[in-house]
Amino acid sequence: MTTEIITLTVNGRERQGLAEPRRTLVDFLREDLQLTGTHVGCEHGVCGACTVLVDGAPVRSCLMLAVQAGGADVRTIEGLEENGELHPLQEAFRRSFSFQCGFCTPGFVMSALALIEEGGDLDEEQLRHELSGNLCRCTGYQSIVDGVRLAAQLLAGKEGAQ
Amino acid sequence: MRFVGAKVERVEDRRILTGRGHYVDDLKLPHMLHAAFLRSPLAHAVIGAVDASAARKAPGVVAVLTGRDLAEMTAPVEITMAFGAKVPKFPLLPTDKVRFVGDPVAMVVAESRYQAEDACELIEVDYDPLPAVATYEAALDPAAPLVFDEHGDNVVFSSESSFGDPDGAFARADRVVSATLRQHRVANVPMETRGGVADYDPGSGELTYHAATQGPHGLRMQLAAVMQMPLERVRVLARDIGGAFGLKGFPSREELAVAAASRAVGAPVKWIEDRNEHLLASGQAREETVEVEVAVRSDGTLLGIKAHMLMDQGAYPPVPFPSAMYTALMQMLLPGPYRLEGYTFDVRVVCTNKCCYVAYRGPWEMETWVRERILDIVAAELGLDPAEVRRRNLVDGEPEDRLITGLSLAGVSSRQSLERALERIGYQDFRNEQAEGRKEGRCLGIGFATFIEASPGPPEMRMGGGMFGGEQAKVKLEADGHLVVVTAQSPHGQGHETTLAQVAADEMGVPFEHVRVIHGDTNITPFSLIGTGGSRASTWASGAVLVSTRKLKERILGIAAELLEISAADLEITDGVIVPKGVPGRSLPLAQVAQQVYMAPGSLPPGSERVLEVHETFTGEGITGSGWSGGTHACTVEVDLGTGQVRILRYVVAEDCGRVINPAIVEGQIRGGVAQGIGEVLYEHSAYDEEGQFLAGTFMDYLVPTAAEIPVIEIEHLETDPEGELGFRGVGEAGAVVAPATVTNAVADALAPYGARVWEQYLPPYRVLELAGVITS
Repeated sequence: MTTEIITLTVNGRERQGLAEPRRTLVDFLREDLQLTGTHVGCEHGVCGACTVLVDGAPVRSCLMLAVQAGGADVRTIEGLEENGELHPLQEAFRRSFSFQCGFCTPGFVMSALALIEEGGDLDEEQLRHELSGNLCRCTGYQSIVDGVRLAAQLLAGKEGAQ
Repeated sequence: MRFVGAKVERVEDRRILTGRGHYVDDLKLPHMLHAAFLRSPLAHAVIGAVDASAARKAPGVVAVLTGRDLAEMTAPVEITMAFGAKVPKFPLLPTDKVRFVGDPVAMVVAESRYQAEDACELIEVDYDPLPAVATYEAALDPAAPLVFDEHGDNVVFSSESSFGDPDGAFARADRVVSATLRQHRVANVPMETRGGVADYDPGSGELTYHAATQGPHGLRMQLAAVMQMPLERVRVLARDIGGAFGLKGFPSREELAVAAASRAVGAPVKWIEDRNEHLLASGQAREETVEVEVAVRSDGTLLGIKAHMLMDQGAYPPVPFPSAMYTALMQMLLPGPYRLEGYTFDVRVVCTNKCCYVAYRGPWEMETWVRERILDIVAAELGLDPAEVRRRNLVDGEPEDRLITGLSLAGVSSRQSLERALERIGYQDFRNEQAEGRKEGRCLGIGFATFIEASPGPPEMRMGGGMFGGEQAKVKLEADGHLVVVTAQSPHGQGHETTLAQVAADEMGVPFEHVRVIHGDTNITPFSLIGTGGSRASTWASGAVLVSTRKLKERILGIAAELLEISAADLEITDGVIVPKGVPGRSLPLAQVAQQVYMAPGSLPPGSERVLEVHETFTGEGITGSGWSGGTHACTVEVDLGTGQVRILRYVVAEDCGRVINPAIVEGQIRGGVAQGIGEVLYEHSAYDEEGQFLAGTFMDYLVPTAAEIPVIEIEHLETDPEGELGFRGVGEAGAVVAPATVTNAVADALAPYGARVWEQYLPPYRVLELAGVITS
C-alpha cells in the first residue's frame, strides 16, 4: 500500500511521518510519533479515550485518518505540562482524585480542556452533558465533574480553591 | 503525621494525568510483531478444513497459527481446582469445533496489526453448523447437543444444601411468597481491553510476558503450564492497567496463545484486543436465575427461604477458578443479615454456546439482589412497609448472631446502616412526596437494599489466613533511608501505590514521600494466586505491609539501640529520625543507620543484623472489628411513562468498611461500583439471540452509562472501630453488589400503582413501559 508524508504540528512542534492513507490519527500519534499518552478505547468513536484537540476542537483520533490531519495543529495530553508544572486542569483533577485506572484520563483531560478554553459557566447538568462524550468505568464520574469545576476556579484565579 | 485516614494525594496521578502512564499497549520492543485473531461467526459448529495459504503469503505476515498448529506446540489448558465442577481440558484454540460467536480459530502474526487483520480475512474455515445451546432451557434439554462431548450433558455443576429446619419453617408460615428472579448477562468492560506482549528469548529459553493482569503469579503459572516451561523461566510484568473489575484475573486463551506465538516466531509479539472482540469474547458475567420461595408470618417475620438457582457459564470454564466456586458464596450469603429458621439452596450451572463466564466485581452479587428484591415483594404482598419488614428481621450484631449457613455475624452493622441510609434520604418525607406526586400522575419510587460482605470475614473464616493462606509483603530500607514496599497486589485503579505507602509510612514513622510501593514483577513480588481481587487489598495486603514494616522497624531499632546505647524499647522513629521516646537526647536519622549497615557493616557491633529487608506473611492476627463489610444503599427515582426513562433523583450510601485508609480512594471505589450497578439495571446487556448470535458488539449496543446518567452519590461512612489498628475492611465490590437491588427496588416501587411485577433486573425503557402497561410486549 502507498504511503504519504504527513506534516503537522503536535504540541507546538512540527512533526513529520510516513503513513498509509488508512492509518488512523491515533495510531499515527502513538506508533509513529511515540505519543502513547493518547489511548485507544473502542476504535469506533464512542468512548472518547482517544480525544485530542485538532485546531482547537476535540476530535476522536480513532475516527480521523492521519492524512486528514496534515497541516493541522494537534494538541495531546503530553502537551499540557509546562516546565514540569501541571496545567491547572491536571492539578485540579489530581486534587479531586478524579481518576482511578487512568485509561480514560487523557480523553477526559482533552475534552475538559476544550470545554474550559471555550469558557462559559455551566451548571451541573450542562457540565455532565458536555462530559457525556467520554466513558469512564472506574469513578462514577462525580470526581471528574468536581475536577472540572475546581479547574475552572483555579483558572479564574480564585486562590485557595479547594 | 498519621497518613492512614487522610486524603493523601495519589502517587499514581501525576503520571496518568500527564500521559506518562505505562499501559501494555504503550510498550514497543525491538523487532516486535503484532497478532490478530480470526474468530468464529457461528455459535456452534464443527471446524473442517482451515485454509490459511493465502494469509500466509499476505504482505507482512510472519506466521499463521491455527488451533491445530498451536495444539502441537502447547499443552492443553487444565483447571486443577475444579470445586466439584466438570471441567474439560481444552487446547488454546479449538481444534474440533467452535463453541461461541467469537471463539478464536486462528491467529495471524504480522509486522503490523493492520497487516495481521488483513490476513485474517484471507483465512478460509469450513464450518459445519450445529444447533446452538443458547438458553437455560436448551442447556437442560437432554436432547440438546453437547457443548463439551466429554461432559455427557450440559450441566457442569449441581449441588444442594439445607440449613436449620426449612420444612418446619414452611409448615409454620402464614404465607409463602415466591418469584422467579432473573438477572441478565452483562460484562466488566474496563476501558482498556485485554492485551499483552510476549517476549520469548530463544537464547536463554526465557519468556517475559508484559501483561494487563490482576494476578501476575496466576498468569505465570498458566503460561508455564501450557508452554511446558519451568516456572523460573517465566516472568510476568504488569505496570499500569486500565481497569479490570475481575476480568483480568483470568488468564485468557488469547494471552497464552500470544506467548506460544512468540516462541514459534522467535520475536516479541503484541496482541491488543479491539472493543468488538472485547465485548464478544473477553468474558461476561451475572447470567443467573433464582426461583425463590419465602415462608413468612403475616407480621412480616421471615421463617424460611428456599432458593433454586441456575447459572449460565457460557462455553469454556474460567481459568483457574470455575464458575461453580462463586455459587458457594451465593449459597453462603443469600440469607444475609436476617434471622431465619430454615434455608435450602440448590444450584445447577449449565454450559452454553455463549462467551465465557468471568468474575465481575462481587461475582456473588445475585444473593443480595435476590434477597433484597424478594423482601420488597414480601412487603408488598403483606401490605407492609419494606423498611419495617427489614427492621423486624435484621440481626443486631450480637455475639450469638449467625448466618444460618454458619458464620458469626457478631458486630455486623446492618441495622445501623439501614437507619442511617433511610434517615439521610428522608424516607418518610419521600413517602409523603410520593403520595402527593402520584395524585398528579408522577411516577416516583424509592428503593433500598442492605448487604454484607465477608471481607475479610469473621475470625472462623480467616483462620490461618483463610482460603488463600493470608498475604505476604516485603519491606526494605534502602541505603538512603527510604522504604521500598513490595506487594503481591496488582492494582488497576485502586491506588495501592498510595494506600499501602500510607500504611507503611505510619508504621515506620517516615515521610510518605520516602515510601515507594512496587508491584507487578513475578521475579520480586511475593506469590499470590489471586493478586488483586475479592476486596483483599484493604485487609490482607495492608496487614502484610504492616507486619513486615513492624518487623523491619524492630530490626532497625535493635541496631540503633546498640549505636545509641539506649534500649530499643525506649526509641521511636519520627519523620525518618530515630529519637528517644519522650525525652530529648541523641537522635539518629534512619538514613544514617542505613548507610552504616550497607556501606560499613564491619563497624556495626558484633552480632548486629545486616539485612534490612523483611518478608512476612500476614495471616490475620490482630484484625479488629466484625470482619464484615456492608451497608445500605437507598435511592429515589422518577420514571417518565412517556419514554420509559428512569431518572435517579438521589442516591445515598451508608457504608461500613471499617477503618478508612484514604477516604477519597474509598469513596471512588464505592461510586464506581454504584455506577456499574446502575448501568447493569438500566443500560447494559450482553444480549444473544436464540441461535447464540451476539447482539451487543459495539458501544452503540452495549451501553456504558455516562456522566449524564450517573447521579451524585452521597456517602456516609459508618466507621465502626475507627481506631482498631487492623480494622480495614474490603470495599472494592460493595457498590456493584448492592446497587442493582437498590435501583430495581426503586423502579418497582415507582411502578407499583400500575401492578407491575418486577422479577427481572434489566429495566431498559421499553421494558419499563411494558411493566407499566403503557405498551404491550
